[in-house]
Amino acid sequence: MKFDIGILRMANDLAVHAAARQAVISENIANADTPGYKARDITSFSDSFVEAVDAPKAMRPARAGHLAINTNMHKYDIFEDAAFGAESPNGNSVSIEDQMVRAAEVRQQHQLALGIYNKSMDILRAGMGRIR
Amino acid sequence: MSDLLKTMASSVSGMAAQSARLRLVSENIANADTPGYRRKLVPFEQVLEGHGQAGAVRTGKMHLDTSELESVFQPSHPMADEDGYYQGSNVNLMLEIADAREAQRSYEANLKMFDQARHMTSSLLELLRR
Repeated sequence: MKFDIGILRMANDLAVHAAARQAVISENIANADTPGYKARDITSFSDSFVEAVDAPKAMRPARAGHLAINTNMHKYDIFEDAAFGAESPNGNSVSIEDQMVRAAEVRQQHQLALGIYNKSMDILRAGMGRIR
Repeated sequence: MSDLLKTMASSVSGMAAQSARLRLVSENIANADTPGYRRKLVPFEQVLEGHGQAGAVRTGKMHLDTSELESVFQPSHPMADEDGYYQGSNVNLMLEIADAREAQRSYEANLKMFDQARHMTSSLLELLRR
C-alpha cells in the first residue's frame, strides 16, 4: 500500500519551500555589500501550490518496478524583488531590514510545517491506539 | 536539507568577506598617522555558480586608494621638504569608522541567517528523535 497522506505531503512541501526561500535570503544578505547585486526572492508558497495543482498531471509509474519521476522536486522561480527605495548608489538593492523580515516569515513557515507534520503523526499514532 | 546547508555556506562566505573587510579597516586606522600610507580597499564580488546563478560572496584583489595624500605642515619633521610639508596618509578616520560599522552590521546579519538555518536543521532532525 502506498503511504501517501495529503497533509503530510503538504507539510513537506511547505518545509521545502521555507528552506529554498531561506537559501535565497541568505544569499541576499551575504551579498548585502556587493556592488550591482539585486535582491531576489522566490515564488510564494500559495502561488507555487496553485501552480502545482493546476499543472497537468505528471507521468506516473505504471508498474512497481518503474522509476517514478520525482514531482516533489520543486523548482521555484527566482526573481528580483527589492524593498521600495532600497537601491544604493552602487547598484545594490539589498535592504538588510527587509531581508530580516522575510527571514522571520520563513522561520514561522518552517515551524508551522514541522508543527503540522508532528501533529498529524501524533493523530496517526493515536489512531493506531498508541498515544505517545 | 541541501538548501539549508547552502544557506549556511553562503552565510559563512558573507562572514568571511566582512571580517576581511574589517581587518583592512583596522589596518587603515592603525596606520592613520604613517607618512605616505595609502588606505587599503577590498572589493566584494559575487561567486557565480554553474548557470549564472549568484550564490556566495568573496573578496576580490586588494587595492590601494589612489586619492591625494594629505600634506602636513611640520617643518621639524625629518621627512619635511624645503617648504616644511610632508606627505601624511590618506586615511579618513570618519570614513573608516563608518565602514567598520557597516561591516559589523552585515556580519551580524549573516550570523543571524546562519543561526536560523542551524535552528531549522535541528528542529528538522528533532522529528526523527521521537
